[in-house]
Amino acid sequence: MELIINNLSKTYANGVKALNNVSLTIPQGMFGLLGPNGAGKSSLMRTIATLQEPDSGSIHLGDIDVLRDQESLRKVLGYLPQEFGVYPRVSAAMMLDHIAQLKGLSNRNQRKETVEALLQKVNLWKERKRNLGSFSGGMKQRFGIAQALVGNPQLLIVDEPTAGLDPAERNRFYNLLSEIGESTIIILSTHIVEDVKTLCKQFAIICGGEVMAVSTPQEAVNWLSNKVWSKSIPKVEIEEYRNNYHVIATQLAEGRLFIRVIADSDPGNGFSPAAPTLEDVYFNAISTKMDLVTL
Amino acid sequence: MFWSVFSFEIRYRLQRPATYIYFLVFLLITMLIIASGGTAASEKVYHNSPAMIGSFFTLLGIFSVLISSAIMGVPLYRDLEHNTKEYLLSTPIGRSAYFWGRFWGSFVILLLVCTGAIVGYIGGTILGPIVDWSEPERFGPNLLVNYLWPYLTLFIPSLFFTACIFYGLVAWLRNNRVLYTASILLFILYLFSNFLVRDLEKRDLVDLLDPFALNTYSNATKYFTPAEQNNLLTPMTGNLLYNRLLWPSIGLLILLFTYFRFSIIRFVANLSRGGKSKVSDEHKARVTLPVFNPVFSSRLNWSNLWNLGKLEFRNIIKDNYFLSIILGGVIFLFIDDWIGNLQYGVPDRPVTMNMLLFKTFNYSLFVFILIMFYAGETVHRDRATRFANIADALPVPNWVQLGSKFMAITGVCFLLATIPMIVGVTVQVLHGFFDFKWKYYFIDLYAITFWDYWQMALLAFFIHALVNNKFLGHFVGIGIWVLIFISRSVLEWDYNLALYSYKPGYQISDMNDFGHFGEPLFWFNFYWTSFGFLLLVMAALMWARGSSHSFKSRWQAFKSRWNRTSATLVLLLSILWLGSGAFIYYNVSQVNRYTTSDEGKERSANYEKKYKKYERIPQPKVTGLMLYADIFPEERSIHMRAQLKVKNKTNQPIDSLHLLSDDGQQYQLFFNGTELKPCYTDILPRPKLTILYNRPDTGGYRIFKLPATLLPGDTALLEIRTRQANPGFVNNGYRREIIYNGTFTSGGIPSIGYSADMELNSDEDRKKYKLPEKKEELPPHRDPYGEKTLLFNDDADLIDFECIVSTSPDQIAIAPGYIQKEWTDKGRRYFHYKQDSKADYFFNLVSARYSILKDKWVSPEGKEVNLEIYYHHEHAYNLDRMMSALKDGLSYFHRNFGPYQYRQARILEFPRYAAFAQSFPNTIPYSEDFGWYADFSDPNDYDYFYYVTLHELAHQWWGHQVVPNYTRGSNLVSESLAEYSALMVAKEKYGHDNVQRFLRYDLDGYLRGRAGESKKENVFINCNRSYQWYQKGSLILYALQDYIGEDKLNAQIKAFRDSFALKETPPFAGSYDLYAFIEKAVPDSLRYFLEDSWLKIALYENHILKATAKKLKGDEYEVSLTVRARKMYADEKGNEAEATSTNDYIDIGIFAEDKVEKNGRKLTQPLYLKKHRFKNGEFTLQFKVKGKPVKAGIDPYNQLIDRIPEDNKINVDIK
Repeated sequence: MELIINNLSKTYANGVKALNNVSLTIPQGMFGLLGPNGAGKSSLMRTIATLQEPDSGSIHLGDIDVLRDQESLRKVLGYLPQEFGVYPRVSAAMMLDHIAQLKGLSNRNQRKETVEALLQKVNLWKERKRNLGSFSGGMKQRFGIAQALVGNPQLLIVDEPTAGLDPAERNRFYNLLSEIGESTIIILSTHIVEDVKTLCKQFAIICGGEVMAVSTPQEAVNWLSNKVWSKSIPKVEIEEYRNNYHVIATQLAEGRLFIRVIADSDPGNGFSPAAPTLEDVYFNAISTKMDLVTL
Repeated sequence: MFWSVFSFEIRYRLQRPATYIYFLVFLLITMLIIASGGTAASEKVYHNSPAMIGSFFTLLGIFSVLISSAIMGVPLYRDLEHNTKEYLLSTPIGRSAYFWGRFWGSFVILLLVCTGAIVGYIGGTILGPIVDWSEPERFGPNLLVNYLWPYLTLFIPSLFFTACIFYGLVAWLRNNRVLYTASILLFILYLFSNFLVRDLEKRDLVDLLDPFALNTYSNATKYFTPAEQNNLLTPMTGNLLYNRLLWPSIGLLILLFTYFRFSIIRFVANLSRGGKSKVSDEHKARVTLPVFNPVFSSRLNWSNLWNLGKLEFRNIIKDNYFLSIILGGVIFLFIDDWIGNLQYGVPDRPVTMNMLLFKTFNYSLFVFILIMFYAGETVHRDRATRFANIADALPVPNWVQLGSKFMAITGVCFLLATIPMIVGVTVQVLHGFFDFKWKYYFIDLYAITFWDYWQMALLAFFIHALVNNKFLGHFVGIGIWVLIFISRSVLEWDYNLALYSYKPGYQISDMNDFGHFGEPLFWFNFYWTSFGFLLLVMAALMWARGSSHSFKSRWQAFKSRWNRTSATLVLLLSILWLGSGAFIYYNVSQVNRYTTSDEGKERSANYEKKYKKYERIPQPKVTGLMLYADIFPEERSIHMRAQLKVKNKTNQPIDSLHLLSDDGQQYQLFFNGTELKPCYTDILPRPKLTILYNRPDTGGYRIFKLPATLLPGDTALLEIRTRQANPGFVNNGYRREIIYNGTFTSGGIPSIGYSADMELNSDEDRKKYKLPEKKEELPPHRDPYGEKTLLFNDDADLIDFECIVSTSPDQIAIAPGYIQKEWTDKGRRYFHYKQDSKADYFFNLVSARYSILKDKWVSPEGKEVNLEIYYHHEHAYNLDRMMSALKDGLSYFHRNFGPYQYRQARILEFPRYAAFAQSFPNTIPYSEDFGWYADFSDPNDYDYFYYVTLHELAHQWWGHQVVPNYTRGSNLVSESLAEYSALMVAKEKYGHDNVQRFLRYDLDGYLRGRAGESKKENVFINCNRSYQWYQKGSLILYALQDYIGEDKLNAQIKAFRDSFALKETPPFAGSYDLYAFIEKAVPDSLRYFLEDSWLKIALYENHILKATAKKLKGDEYEVSLTVRARKMYADEKGNEAEATSTNDYIDIGIFAEDKVEKNGRKLTQPLYLKKHRFKNGEFTLQFKVKGKPVKAGIDPYNQLIDRIPEDNKINVDIK
């Protein structure tokens, strides 16, 4: 089963092109969507999750024509949005039980088992009787993950899921995801390159509503082998280097500025070759659309 | 620093469209209301008089609650909501500058916004005449000071008060949802003080407790005559001044309190979430997720609908604001039920029919607020909490989403419909009253009221489903109801088929249960509920799901969701809706011809234009009536066959007979045995809302040409056969005359000749229809036509009356006369009544299931009078009072005014649809609502049940023995003497010192009556208004007997009676006749009083300023009083002038502590009570009394007509 996205476009009323002819084929397993803020990741996710209608294009999940038959998709969907709210006066267990019911688990015992397991998985078992209104940001996020996983969905969409989680929680979350199984299509959007490197079989880079690149992490890194060069320079000279070289990153360390540039061959001038990282791939891909210099 | 914040606030607001929108809203609404004449002005008062502007701006103060919360709640909250607080407040802005800068900036804007009302008001006075919504004469000159003065003194204090409260609340609680609760609490405070008004005693408390001064203002101006209303700027004195200083001061105190507690750090801190988050340190072993496959079936959808519905219901019920609002509603309902409707200060027993009636007082407002508000909350909840981002992606079909929310609201409606039963039963039990009528509770609440609430919910739901913004939705929802309300009250459009959720009014009566109201209520509910569901289906089709809520996307959604199921549903609902609508239309406009209020007025105008020329033509008079009446209570119809003996009592020949019946009534006329067809019948024009008019209604006026001329002195026999029925149902009106139990009807015999009673009375209306001005209603004294015509009926003098009336076998039918025979035949029960002495041509037929209480009164000469009370079996509470009133009254009247002319006196209870009592010959129908189930257990209460019985009994003398003629003021012969007679018996029973509790209501009634006068106030001898012949009459006749002596006055009244009693030939008695008799007993020294009270309009402003006392030896005290006496004369318009050369007798009284009898009754204990002569001026008097003085006063019993009765008595200061 694959998720096939074809020529998806959407322009908002204020003229912003959220999605510009996006086409992707997403197989089972973890697929990363990498891109800066405002790239169109959330728009894409919402469109797949049947919450938004595109101007043109199509989406198919196996036999399901997602844009026409929204109900069928929702039956197999698990969705964790980037921001969401909760009913403040309902307890976590009750809400999760309720969502399980909505997702088709009518058997009470099955539901009980599922809810218990999920709450334990996301570490909310102790808080299960507390009202959702009293949850901290991290707890709310964990609840969101739990509800997305109810019903063993075939398509799981998680939009910036680790925002607000501390490193230990993040790890727990990724372990959870990786257990889910090979038969699920998981789309994970993030702007943390590290996550993509660790988890995703495949990933795509999105910027300005367009797909800049699609690859596996290893392959992507290989594109830039022998093309990345680094040098440490005085801060004041940064403008000069920007004008003369394709700078993709700047880093401050011990009071000095280290820059990384892309060049097909050795630029000389004190540059030394650097092993390409996925960050480099990322910055390079979006450099055509964005100003990367952060000073 | 302050200036930067202040000026920023103003600049920021001036940039926001909302500011201008609020201004425009004030302007437009005010303009529309004023242009269409929507003020409380009576006819002679300008819509833009200082009094009306004052009352409008006072009322506006209440609406300042809404605008204040919108404008003053925002400035601080803005920094919280947009999260600017963090950096803004870390600048050196300073606490005081921030707090006061925002406050004053916003308050200035608030003031400016509200001036929209002034502009709108002036605009309305100009617009009204231009678009012909009101007459130009209803507007006086627009003086700016007339607007600025009330704006400044009445409105701004309210505005400042609410501004302080809302601003303070947000500053303190850092949350603007609290504003909803605050608004509700303010409304509660307000409605509570409103209800205290019902009891006149606590006036000062009411005046001060009213934050918007609505009652205070009304109390300060309620006695202003039209002239004063038009010219006087309401003075800021007394309670009004205190109130207008008190409440803004309270507001300021709250604000200062908030300011001193306000700290920037506290304001900025994040709201704590409550509850510590537990640290989970348990290390669970690896958990594997179970794999269950979801099953999607339609059964799942239904169970989800139910579960989601339950969840949503919980969300609503557990909301703190919901609980506080519903608590407010319950408190109000409880108070309303507990106190009930006080009549003359006396409470009723908590009967079930009233427990259901009172929910329409204040509780309904809370229901409205809850349903409108929570429909919005529930529809927008997912988006507001942003749970929609998850919920919308769940496999829940749209109809389940919407349906579950609607189910929750339905649950709320059900809860709200159940609360009145719980509260009602609680109140009943606490009062020790256990006669619960479960049938009433269940039918009224679940078969009628629940549907009202549900319809409200359907509309609110539809609006919120369509409109994205919750507040806009509330605005639209409230706007629709306001519009409907204005159409009904101001524009007088009341066609219920066109006004959402409106249906004909109904009342529950213990005698008649729900009566015939069930049918129309059922159909209208069916009609509106089907329409509501149609709206719901539309809402479902346009339900917003997902991120886009634009109109375009909804339209797309609609198109894609429209399928065979939805089409069938819409078709089905439309059929139900239109079908029931057609059936209602048929009943309301075809079978019964609904006319608008304007159409009704036009008909009256045409009647006058066509027929007034026949007003004085010679017509025969009735001398005898033999009536055969068959009442069919279950069918609500009556057949009448009236045989009238008529005689030409004029000195001219009569060629034609003019008869006046009800519009649309059909009857047959036989003249000496032969049927006569009318030579002229009026055809009424087709009512605008009646489409098919192939059987047009005939007008009431018909002319018959007599087969032979009726010469002076000739007699003839007329027979009229008619049938009155109530087919179908009507748009509005109770149609209470013939009902299942408690028929009370005159049957419908047409009257003879033109009647001026059917003309339009209001000057404004007459001008609109181009009728001449109506100067006086009755002919002047000693007018020849007037003296030979009876006031109540120009069709006859005194007649012979006999009647055979039949009804259902389980009912008793009653007509005036002595029962001759009673029998049953073919399932009908017959009663034969006959008057064996002449009576006036004034009768009604009554039929109901009665219990009877019988007793006897025997006169000193040995004549026996049978006393019978026909009552509804559940209303046996106060029969003893009624019976004593009959006996005491008969004794007193017999002794002082002359013998009772009949051998029976009967009182009949009739249903509460009309609330009066009336006197027919030896028969007194008496409304269910006029004391039968009242609670007179407090002996200090005004026993109005006793009093009204006496009054009606007295009418057997005044009205039936002495029948007034048709001249100016003659009604006082009937009504004022009846009032006086009843007062005298009350005085005999309670003592002169305790009659004040009766007179108090009379004085208040008179003063209010003259303040609401729409034309001019006549002097008493020409009295033409009920406030004169009832209330003024009571006061002046009682005062007169106090001046000249009861026996002397009674002797003259008796002589008057002897002269006119049972007179069969003219001249009949007029007010001047009574005056002539009374005059004889008035000595010269008191002549001024007789002339002042009968021939002029005299008013006093007596006032006691100071009362001090010093203890002497023993229990003697020396008392010193400073009083002011002042008399004024008023002209007919209400302009007053000080009286010159007065020297009037006025009581001075000094009183000890009231004595309390064993049963709790308080008795006044005068230590000194004597009349002194006073000129106008201030005087100090000294007295010695035995006994400790507690109160003192000038005219302490308020026997004289005094503009301000409360200041006649004060407490004595003992030094």
